[in-house]
Parts: sequence; C-alpha cells; structure tokens
Amino acid sequence: MSCTKTSVFESTQHYLQTRRLCQLASVTGMRRQSKYYEASVWVVALCLLSWNMAGCESRTAVDLRPVAQDPTAFIESVTPGEPAIRKLTRDQFVSSIHDVFNADIAVPPTAEPDFVAGGLASVGASTTPYSPRGVESFEQVAYAVANLVLTTPEIRVRIMVCEPTAIVDSACAQQIIEPIARLAWRRILTEDELARLVGVVNSAAQTLSSFNAGLEFGLAAILQSPFFLYRFELGHSGRFTDYELASRLAYFLWNSTPDIELLDAAEAGELSTDEGLRASAVRLLSDPRARIGMRRFFIEYLHLEELLSLSKDPSVFAFYTTDLGESALEETLSLLDYLVFERDADYRALLTTTTTFVNPTLAALYDIPAPSSEGFARVNLPPSGPRAGLLGHAGFLSAHSHPVSTSVTLRGKAVRNILLCQDIPIPPVEVDTSIPEPSGTAPTMRERVAEHLESESCAACHLMTDPIGLGLENFDGVGRYRLLDNGHMIDPTGDLDGTDFLNARELGAAVASHPDYLRCLVRTMTRYATGRVETKEELETHITTLTNRFISQGAHVQGLALDIVLSPMFRRAGEGG
Amino acid sequence: MRRALKNTFRLTPVPCLRRIPLSRRTVLRGLFAGATVSVALPPLDIFFDTNGEAYADGTGFPKRFGLWFWGNGILPEYWTPLGTGEGWSPSPLLEPLAGLTNEITVISGLEVKVANLKPHGSGPGGFLSGTDLKIAGEDETFRAPSLDQLIAQAIGGDTVYRSVEVGVAPGTGGRSYNGSDSKNPPELEPKALFERLFGASFTAPGEEAIIDPRLALRRSVLDSVMADAASVRDRLGQGDRERLEQHLDAIRDIEKRLIKLETEPPSFAACNRPSIPFDYPDIDGRPQMDARNAIASDLIAMAYACDLTRVVSIWHSDPVSDVLYEGASAGHHQLTHDEPGEQIQVQGIVKRIMGHFGTFVDALRNIPEGDRTLLDNCVILGTSDVGFARTHQIDEFPILLAGTASGYLKRGVHIRSDIKENASRVPLTLMQAMGMPVASFGEGDAYVETGLKEVVA
Repeated sequence: MSCTKTSVFESTQHYLQTRRLCQLASVTGMRRQSKYYEASVWVVALCLLSWNMAGCESRTAVDLRPVAQDPTAFIESVTPGEPAIRKLTRDQFVSSIHDVFNADIAVPPTAEPDFVAGGLASVGASTTPYSPRGVESFEQVAYAVANLVLTTPEIRVRIMVCEPTAIVDSACAQQIIEPIARLAWRRILTEDELARLVGVVNSAAQTLSSFNAGLEFGLAAILQSPFFLYRFELGHSGRFTDYELASRLAYFLWNSTPDIELLDAAEAGELSTDEGLRASAVRLLSDPRARIGMRRFFIEYLHLEELLSLSKDPSVFAFYTTDLGESALEETLSLLDYLVFERDADYRALLTTTTTFVNPTLAALYDIPAPSSEGFARVNLPPSGPRAGLLGHAGFLSAHSHPVSTSVTLRGKAVRNILLCQDIPIPPVEVDTSIPEPSGTAPTMRERVAEHLESESCAACHLMTDPIGLGLENFDGVGRYRLLDNGHMIDPTGDLDGTDFLNARELGAAVASHPDYLRCLVRTMTRYATGRVETKEELETHITTLTNRFISQGAHVQGLALDIVLSPMFRRAGEGG
Repeated sequence: MRRALKNTFRLTPVPCLRRIPLSRRTVLRGLFAGATVSVALPPLDIFFDTNGEAYADGTGFPKRFGLWFWGNGILPEYWTPLGTGEGWSPSPLLEPLAGLTNEITVISGLEVKVANLKPHGSGPGGFLSGTDLKIAGEDETFRAPSLDQLIAQAIGGDTVYRSVEVGVAPGTGGRSYNGSDSKNPPELEPKALFERLFGASFTAPGEEAIIDPRLALRRSVLDSVMADAASVRDRLGQGDRERLEQHLDAIRDIEKRLIKLETEPPSFAACNRPSIPFDYPDIDGRPQMDARNAIASDLIAMAYACDLTRVVSIWHSDPVSDVLYEGASAGHHQLTHDEPGEQIQVQGIVKRIMGHFGTFVDALRNIPEGDRTLLDNCVILGTSDVGFARTHQIDEFPILLAGTASGYLKRGVHIRSDIKENASRVPLTLMQAMGMPVASFGEGDAYVETGLKEVVA
C-alpha cells in the first residue's frame, strides 16, 4: 500500500482512494475478533492517518535529537504567492481600533464573522472576501467609532493636537488626521492620500459648518479604507517590506496594529535586518499585549470560541451552569498564559500539569474547595487525582461532547485533529452511523462502541478516534468526574499509537510525548503567523527545522514565536511583488 | 439644494412612474414646499400604480424569491405525500402543513446528482449551486454561487437590499454563497435584523424622504474609499483582486442605498413599520425556536411587502445542526444517528420544522397585494441538506415550493419522480419563474437544460 503526502484531499480521486483504503482496512481488520485484528487495523489505520502529516515513515522519522540550528539559516525558496491581502479578523478589527486611539472604545459589533480555513480564522482571513453585509456594517461602525472618539473627553483631548482657527482649517485637520491614519494604515501616508483625507474633512466641515463634524467624516474615511480593513502584504523583490513586516509582527504577537515605536523601526529600515527584526520581536514579546495576542492564538488553535455557545441539557448535567463555557475558556487560557509567560514552561506541561485556574463554578464541577469566593485563582489539583492538563479541562471535555452525553468520537477526533494535526477521513455516506443503546451485553460506552465498530465501513476511521475518547469516559459531557456509566464501571484504558494508558492522565502524557504533538503546535502557529497553509515542501523543510529546534530548546512557546518571526516563511514574500 | 432638485424632478410629467416614488401626499407636499411653478398632477391611474392600489388584479407587483433551508433532512418513509397532482394529502411529517396543501407544492423523489463526498455538505452544495462541494481537510465551500445569489444578482438591484440572509437557530452560518469561499453571513438576532431593515434608515410609505446633508457626505467618503482601493488594485494578483472587487461592489450598494434614502419610499399599501422584537435567550439550554422563527417570518414578510428586498434566504438551521429542541432527549443531529427504530423524536422535530415553514408561508399569505396575497407573488423554496439524515443520502431530497411566482407556477401540487430524476431541474425552473433568461443549471452529472414542466402553470 502506498501513502501519499498531502495535507488536504486534493481531489475526489484522492478522497475516494482514501476511503477505499479505509474500508479495506475495516474489511481485513474486522473479520475476526481475535487479538490480532486490532493490531492489523492499527497498522493500516496508522498509515492512513499519517499520510496526511508526512507519509507513513513519519511515525519514526521525526528527529528528536537536539539540533541547535539557526532558524534564519534556512533554504532560500519560499514562494507563497497569492493571497497577499489579509482581512482583519473580528478581534483584530476591535483591538486595532483600541490601539489606534489608545482607548478601550466600545466598538459596536460588525456583521462580519470570521471564516475559518486551515483550522484558523487567521488563514480564513487570507482566503475569503469580506461579505457585502460585513462591508455595510463597517460603514456604520466607522461613524459610531468616530463619534465616540470625538465625544469622549479623554480621547478627544489626546487627538486634538491643534485648535482649528476656522471651520475649514486644512493645516490643523492634517495635524490631527496624519498620526491617526499612520497608526490605522500601519504606514506613512502618501501626499495624495493625506490630501484626500483632508479633503473629506474640509468638505464635511464646510457642509455642516463644523470643524468637528469634518473630523468625524475624516475618521470614518480612515476606518472604512481598505488600508485599514486589510493588511496589504505585497512584498518587494521577494521580501516583505519593513512596514509589512511591522504589521505581520504586530498582528502575530499582539493581534493588533503596530505601535509607533514599531512603525518607527520600520521606517528606519530596521526590520530588514536579522538583529533589528529580533530586537523588535523581543520587545513585542515582553510587552503585556503579547499575552493578549497569545491568548488569541490559543483560542483559534484550540477552537475555544465554541465554548461561548455551548449547548448542554441542565436536566442531564447537574453541574452545568450558563457560565460554564465562559469559565472553562478562562481556565484554559489562564493556564496557557501561566505556562507560556510566567513559567516559560515546556509546552508538553499543558497536558500533564496539575496546576490550573478555577473559579467557584469550576471548583464545584471539579469537586475541590473554591480558592476564592469569586473570580479565578491558581490551584494545584490533587497529585493522584483523576484530572491533569488540558484533557481534564471542562472546556476540552464539554466542547467535544454532545448536548446530553459524552462523545468518544468527537473527543478522539479533537485530539487527532487539533492536538496532533492529523486529518481524520470524512465519514463515508450511506452507512448507518448509530451507536447502539445501552443493553445487558453493552452496558457502557466501550461495549456500545465495540458493537458499533462491527460495521465494517465505520470501524477503520472510528478506531482512530474512539479509543482515545474512551480514555476520557471518566468525565461526563461537561467534564464532571464519574466512575460509572449507566451503572457500570468505566474502563478508561487503551493505547495511543502504541503507548498504553490506564486512564485520562496517562492518556494526556501519551499525547504530550506523541511525536506529532509539538510539531502540530509549530505547524499551527506558523499558519497563524503567516496567514496561509504551508506547502508540502515547507512542511518537510521549514516546519521540520522549526520543530527540531523547538524540541531541542526545551519546547518554550515564546522561543518558538521568535523563531517563526525569524524564519523565511515569515519574512520572504511571493515572487510577485 | 437637494430639496430644490427634488421638486423640479417631481414637476416633470413622466408617462410611466412605476418605479418612481410618487404619491398624492408627496405631490401635494411639493406644492406647499414653496414651489412657484404650476404643477401638473399625474393622471390618477399612474398615481395609483405607485400606490399599489391600481394593481387590482394583483399583477404588476414584483416577484420575490425565498430560500428556506433547514438542517438534517427528513425520513423519506414518512415524508412522501399520498397521491400526486392537486389535493395531495399530507404524510405524517407534512401534517403541520395540512392547512396549506393548496398553497404548497411538494416535489419528491429527486436526487442531487453530485458525488456525495461530505455528509450534509455535498447535498446543499449540489442542489443549490449545481456543483461538487470543494473540500480541503476540514474546510468546505460551494464552488459556485448559491441559487439565492444567482437570483439576487439578476433581480436584486432595484431594492434597498440586494438580498437578505437570516438565521433562526443561534449560531447558524447558512450556505448563501457569492462564489467559492465567499459566504453571506445570516443575521441571527431578531433585534439586529429589525434594526437593519426597519431601523433609522427605514421610511414607511407616506413618510417623507430623509433630508440630511450627511447622506451626501457619506457618499463622498465612499468615493474616497474607492480611490484608496483603486490606487492599489493593479498590484494585486487575480484572487485578491476579486476579493477586493467584491468589497467595492458592496460599497457601490451602500451608495445606492444612501441615494434611496433621499427619495420617497415605494408606496405599497401593506407596508408598515413593525414593532421592535424582543430578545430570545435560550431557556434551559434550549433555543426558543418557535418564537425566533415567528419573528423572523414576520420581519421578512414585511421586508418583502415594503419592497426592501426581493431575495431572502432563511437559514432555519445549519447542516449537522444539533439544536436541542424542547422535549427532545438529545440534539437534533445526534438523534438522527442514534435514535433507534422509527425515530419518533426525529419525526417530531421534522414536523416541528415543517410547522415553522408553515408559519413563514402563513405570514406571506396574510399580507394582501391587490386581490391576491404577497405569497402569490413569491416563490419560496423549502429544502434541506440530505434526504434520509441517518445515512446522509441525497436521493429522496426534500423539496417544497410555496407561492406561484405571480402565476408562473402551479399552486399546491405533489410531483413525484420514481426514477431519481435530477434535482437541478428545480433551481433551473425557479430561475426561469423569476424571469431570468437561463437555459441550463449545474455542472457534470448535475447539469440540466430542462426545467420541471410539471410545476409550471
């Protein structure tokens, strides 16, 4: 059997071929319930799931030896080509306005949702257009923001750097508009552009007999411009320009617009040099905004936004409260922030640590004393308790469950898809996918799933996911610990690609030491930073080199972010520019 | 300045004033607004044309299109009505539409002729765009515009909104595509939908146009934005240029909308300002689907009646929607797979959804247009993502039509195909019903050149 290397289903043929392999696996594997059938399925299944990452050999090909290679010393060829304009995500739209005006303005919501591609809204922002409905809302939000800026005394006093001497005062209008537009458009404006904006201010001021009203229209023009709403990354001679790098850097690390210092560095040409780029990246990483930016990365990476629209039946889950999703989101983000910034910890700790952050809602769910009467506090879970790391978080456990039950498939799929960057083939159509009801012969989910897996066409793919999910069955659909399922003892044992585990904690450790785990973070963070899906060549070269270095340096996430900034994938533009 | 121009315009005798807003009150107001020249009142019949009242036979009203989509399909065994042609009797799942059998056409037995590669994805992609779904890992997109947008491009240009997209279930993303990777997000909150359609920018018939110098200034800002875009467009690659072009088209639509605000609204007799809706928070983890559907139905019916738009897509729920309905023991999608036997709960949910469809059809039927109803001047396509949800089949595809597109279509018949005919014939027929000069629809196996003659009057 041959395994091809690709990260997507490039064609129908490829997909069908995959499905045939999948079904073949089930047919050959499920014939007999001998001890060996599972092994034979696993051989095929492992191969199947690895072809998406790096071919069959990837199981052993990841080089774990320390490689202290300079991330800048990579191969030359990086040709991303299109696309070169990136929309602002919803979050970036708001944070950019906050940073342009240096104030937490209550930006009204736009009608433009994020569209996810390659697993990330940041990638979707490069591949999708703004919707007409979204553009319509940008116009209205621009005026609302302009109005807030001009009517909020603390903000107004800051932007009014001159006093107009007449209703139409071009010089003063320019003095006010120019620094705002520079921050909003992330570069120096041309004379034409500046003249156009001043023209807008003047004609509105004239018509409405008010310098202030003129400014309102000028600000609205800045915020509706494509130069605010998109990041133009056109490159020049195969490299991103200094200004483009400033934006890439700021949106990667802060999820927001560059500050004046960074724009100054760009203007001085500092970002074209290794030292200059490194210095700016280090500065941004040590700024509190990097912690906000990193939270955003993890929200996208771990699909945490789903937690804000959890659907759970409170009559089934006594510990479900409407603030559970929000609380669970904060737990996971707080732990990540703590590990990445306060401890600069090994990223594998995310799956093994007994440190976490809980509020009273989560303390009740976890059956531990609440550390404070309100808000979050850091706690250490019992060292021999059932719960450790991300796989024990209410967030992971509830997001990948059904509204009324757990889901061994969704949980297993999340581990493979999100944490290990492995694609699970799309389930074939026209098969009965039902899981049998609990019965005398199948009291717990394990037996029910086993019956389910007797269906040949389901088995191969579900064997990739369900055994992982069965390891988490001690946690119900909102993450409450339980010993029994349907009155019978839960057996959470299993193995993950050859590593045995006895329970959820050991499963977490097995995921942490899985060869794809750290590589997956590297791949995803690189996508997030560059706004595109890597090519197959880049996966084998740059992503592999970054991964090896990440591992050899102790798996520090801040260090990885810095390495990504310095890597050619971040700095080299397509040939078009 | 604008006011003066407006008066001059009013004083020009125009033989046909169908689309020009003009009412008796408008003209009289013009008289008292300081115009000094003599006014030639237009003849009364034309006058009434703009009022909607002269359409005594119910003709002359614009045709409207609606797409009404729900997730997770049906159970074919309990879906297909007994008998064909007129006077069909409802199947168990269509029971909630029993009072509307003379209004609703059921087309059963058709198959979506694309490769069924992605459960819940290939069906809507194939039926609504006539093409295979584009799949890349976890990502999917239609390859071509969805039916609602094909129609909106053809007939949406005259109204305030080219099209309106609405979601009923919380979190619904819809499947309205302008083309590959270009989706139109639905409005999810009733209040936001109200604000957009009937908020500050709405003028009811008989109300004065908005006279505000800010409207012209907003347009000049948009010109400045267009100039920004023009300065960089030539440096972009093909794909980026298309993305930017869509943005600029949307800006042109805003400009047109701002101009419309400065003119009188069309004077449709049934148009009035609806009341502001409530918020509808989930109750016990379950969305208030009945209430959310009812308010969306009323607002959209009124949007049609006021001619704010002629193309709407209502996304009742998404493919794979796991809405937890009141009384259900699990989410909708989960039940379609896990509920054993006859799937009584799933049947109950589908019936409930059909009731929601009926609520929308009723809202249209309750609005008179001439001696007909708004529904008569609409055609609403009700459909889903799969036939039998449990197996994700895309044969026995659920297709409902309501309204006759101003008499183009038959009213209330059941058409049955026992040989799995191509479902693309329905979108082709509907585009033709809307007056579009199209001769084919779909690609590959989904390609068709003949519509479904059986539903044409």
